[in-house]
Amino acid sequence: MSVPSPSRSRSPSLSAPTPPAPGAPGMKGARAMKRTPAKVRALRLAGGAGQYLALACYLIFLGFPLLWLLSTSFKTARELGSLDPAWLPRHPGLDNYRAAFDAQPLLRSALNSLVVACAASLISVTVAVPAAYALARHRSLVGRASSVWILVSQTFPFVLVIIPLFLVLKNLRLIDSIAGLIAVYVVWNLPFSLWMLQGYVKAVPPSLEEAAAIDGAGRVRTLVSVVLPLLAPGLVATLMFSFVTAWNEFFFALVLLKSPENQTMSVILTRFLGAEGVADLGPLAAASVLATIPGLVFFALLQRRLVGGMLAGAVKA
Amino acid sequence: MSVTPSRAGAVPDSRGTPPPRTPAQRRRALGLDRSAWFLLLPALIPVLVLSVGPLLYGAALAFTDAQAVRTSDTRFIGLTNFLDLRFDSLFWDSFGIGLTWSVCVTAGQFALALGLALLLDQNLRLRWLARTLALVPWAMPEVVVGVMWRLVYHSDAGVLNKTLTQLGLLHENHEKIDWLAGLSYALPAAIVVGVWAGMPQTTVVLLAGLQSAPPELREAAQLDGAGVWRRFTAVTWPALKPVAVAITALNFIWNFNSFGLVYVLTRGGPGGQTRLPMLFAYEEAFKYGQFGYAAAMGLVMVAVIAVLLTLFLRAKLKEEAA
Amino acid sequence: MRTLLPGAATTLALSLLAGCGAAPDTTADGEIRLEFLSLAWQKESVEANKRLVRQWNEDHPGVQVRYVQGSWDSVHDQLLTSFLGGEAPDIIHDDASDLTDFAHGGYLADLTPYLPKRLRDDIPQESWETTSYDEGVYGVPFLQEPRVLIANTKLLKGSGVRLPTAQRPWTWQDFEDISKKLTRDVDGDGRTDTYGVAWAMKEPVAQSVNLALSTGGKVFTKDGDGKNRIRYDTAESSVPELVRRQVNEDRTAPRNGLGMSGSDTLPGFFGGRYAMLPLNFSYRQQVRQQAPEGFGWTVLPMPGDSTGLTQGVAPQTLSVSRDSAHKKAAVDFIAYLNQADHQVELATGDWLLPTSREALKDPAVNTRRYGWRTGVDIAAGLRPSPVLGVLGFAEWKDKIATPAYQEYYNGALGTDELRTRLVADGNRILDRYQR
Repeated sequence: MSVPSPSRSRSPSLSAPTPPAPGAPGMKGARAMKRTPAKVRALRLAGGAGQYLALACYLIFLGFPLLWLLSTSFKTARELGSLDPAWLPRHPGLDNYRAAFDAQPLLRSALNSLVVACAASLISVTVAVPAAYALARHRSLVGRASSVWILVSQTFPFVLVIIPLFLVLKNLRLIDSIAGLIAVYVVWNLPFSLWMLQGYVKAVPPSLEEAAAIDGAGRVRTLVSVVLPLLAPGLVATLMFSFVTAWNEFFFALVLLKSPENQTMSVILTRFLGAEGVADLGPLAAASVLATIPGLVFFALLQRRLVGGMLAGAVKA
Repeated sequence: MSVTPSRAGAVPDSRGTPPPRTPAQRRRALGLDRSAWFLLLPALIPVLVLSVGPLLYGAALAFTDAQAVRTSDTRFIGLTNFLDLRFDSLFWDSFGIGLTWSVCVTAGQFALALGLALLLDQNLRLRWLARTLALVPWAMPEVVVGVMWRLVYHSDAGVLNKTLTQLGLLHENHEKIDWLAGLSYALPAAIVVGVWAGMPQTTVVLLAGLQSAPPELREAAQLDGAGVWRRFTAVTWPALKPVAVAITALNFIWNFNSFGLVYVLTRGGPGGQTRLPMLFAYEEAFKYGQFGYAAAMGLVMVAVIAVLLTLFLRAKLKEEAA
Repeated sequence: MRTLLPGAATTLALSLLAGCGAAPDTTADGEIRLEFLSLAWQKESVEANKRLVRQWNEDHPGVQVRYVQGSWDSVHDQLLTSFLGGEAPDIIHDDASDLTDFAHGGYLADLTPYLPKRLRDDIPQESWETTSYDEGVYGVPFLQEPRVLIANTKLLKGSGVRLPTAQRPWTWQDFEDISKKLTRDVDGDGRTDTYGVAWAMKEPVAQSVNLALSTGGKVFTKDGDGKNRIRYDTAESSVPELVRRQVNEDRTAPRNGLGMSGSDTLPGFFGGRYAMLPLNFSYRQQVRQQAPEGFGWTVLPMPGDSTGLTQGVAPQTLSVSRDSAHKKAAVDFIAYLNQADHQVELATGDWLLPTSREALKDPAVNTRRYGWRTGVDIAAGLRPSPVLGVLGFAEWKDKIATPAYQEYYNGALGTDELRTRLVADGNRILDRYQR
């Protein structure tokens, strides 16, 4: 095993299974071996089927509102007013999509959202990695202050921050500007990014860095070539998180942006809502489907990166 | 404050920094060396300007009578807002609702997300698709989530009542269950949505935690022939625990401060049954214009959460140390 | 907030970076620029607004208006933030109940000096009263929305009842009897299949207060010192009592309707579960859009007693921000939007009633189609909603009245308990705003 596991020594329960030493697990293993292979295979098969079944249940629970949304987006207004909702549209059509595009600048706002979410997530991760490294490797006053800030910023009612923030941005001339919104998202995503990444940095054994230092690598190089690859799953999770937060955020976008050409998707979506719970349901569903797609594509692209094995790979390299 | 990420960090951390010994190390423990400052600076400046400043300003409002009225000047009134708050039974009601909501949603999210993360960690076919679909709720804006679930819960034309009727649990023409407007149904119904909407995020974090557990360990255990449960308690859970504790603590904070979802679903109704503390503070500030009073609520919320979290994390860490 | 907010900037040590952040509202060549925050909702109305802005800009090269779309769902928060930050739009579309707090907060301009006489005379005094506080006029009330009964023609005709008109409306007693007639158990399984009426009471307060006017009630009154007081006597309580009776005793209204918004009741209406719906005038648009083919529906006036068909309304308004540098120009633009023919376009686009006397004569709103004519017929009975101008109304509504009315309609509270909560607890809240 190439990774020494001192980092796990605090959990005593872990020491048991690490070495395939004689003892209870081994005995159990021996007993399992004695079973007929067919029985084992059957058990495994049943286990596998159970897993797929469980997964299917999860996907139904998590996915059915999206299906419902999709189906709603293809229904006519008449069908939406029906007492007996059907899972599949009876007269599917693209009218809602047409209406949604007619009514609101969907493409423009989707583009704005994409720019904002990409920029905010990339910048916030870029800024967070070195900071997380510094905080994780040096216990200090700043480190402690930052953890207090992380907690408070997540706890304090955001509604009370909005007005002072508005004034600061006004003084910086960043009201009604996409750059201003990006800056806000970066800063408000930082606590979570720092918190996540710090943990991952700590999981990187310092011995690796020391080894690199002995090889003559500078601090930045060590950070980039040794630590960074090991952070990959954490980076991906953080990136996903900041992207989605920025993509979905509503309140800051509502009060900070004014011009129609700057609006983001989440603000545009509320345009399909009227007073007193009235909603333009069909077009709202159509626009919502469109607003959900980029996030899903983003996930589909990134989720592979969440796959493990990176730690091992990097250590071996 | 024991929510320091160093202790509750997202990934196993037990190494920590050795206690400072030499004078140089002690000095470094107080401040940071130059290169660390250099690494920290890009984050620090925007944070100071756009987050710490506004936060302090917001907190300062709690000691004033600030209102959304231009015609009167704001005065410093000391602790008056906090004293008033003591007797505001509606606020404490909402606080209780917030705790119920937060505990239930956090627990539900964790239990379901753990199961899902373990499943997604397996070598299943079409894993990429499952992983993507599992994140669907996360990709949907809150407004959409709220409106969708309002349709699901609709008492006359919602899928839920329809399904219950088809299963014979509700009579066709009987008065239907009014999920989001029934005094006793609204909070549980909202909690289900909360769990649904917050689950993917927890799943991703737990999955990342699972993935960063050294595969050698797992392989070793597998070769060992350890049973599923044994493998979980002996290998997976100890490795996952710090992440789990961390995300649970964070989820608790987020859920306690949750706003958008319930705002779209019920606006805090019926009869205030789902009025979470953040909704309360929001209404106080934005609808009634009582900024000072709302800020006092905010500070009380911060304080209570800090205490709760400290207790939670202490207990967890003690358990771990034992 | 006056001293505190600029203080924030200094506390944050940003004065170095500070500059004049606002976009220039006058260009170098003296062209005036105005921003118009519109809450037009239906497609037709948005188009009408944009067209009028374009026409105005063509006719007035010196005063250029920029159309900015807002939404009813979030306008209050958006406005409050921009008022506090000094970045509010010049011309603001909102509704009269939202103006009370903004006018009191000092964010809106008194339009009195700028209003052209023609506009003043064209809109009736009752409407102006909805936007007048402390001698000032803080908005032009331009579109209004009475409550009407939308009814299933087939069910109504089948029961053989007399259809009400504005001249000969139903009394509340008639309404209760007719609801009983319309309530039916078609398949004889002992469960109601059709209810006479569905009361959508998700937001019970405005309806309950506004309908009290139809029985001579007021709910909000002024005492000798001009302070707002809450009153809840027989005149105020008779309509709510009837609703409560219909749900809990007559069973002519479904209990689950109480938790619904107006839109939520529509599927049941189309499906024949509900024969009549008391809804705001603009819901006709949704009914027309969603009703199944061949579904017959009609628009009737709400019942009324001795005082005739009075009810309270809070019209939509156009206001000018106090910080606007060009109030005269802004009011000129508002007056332009409110020329009778323009007002008709805006009103029909959003399925609302215009306030202008001239506009109410327009053929477009006098057709029998989709019940337009019913609205025009009852326009004369519309009065300012009693809640307008009451500081602290929002807090009273959320904290006291909404839960109290909801429990009351559900049968969990009696009239006396409701009165205690509305009046005693309510006056305590109002007092805090009137020190």
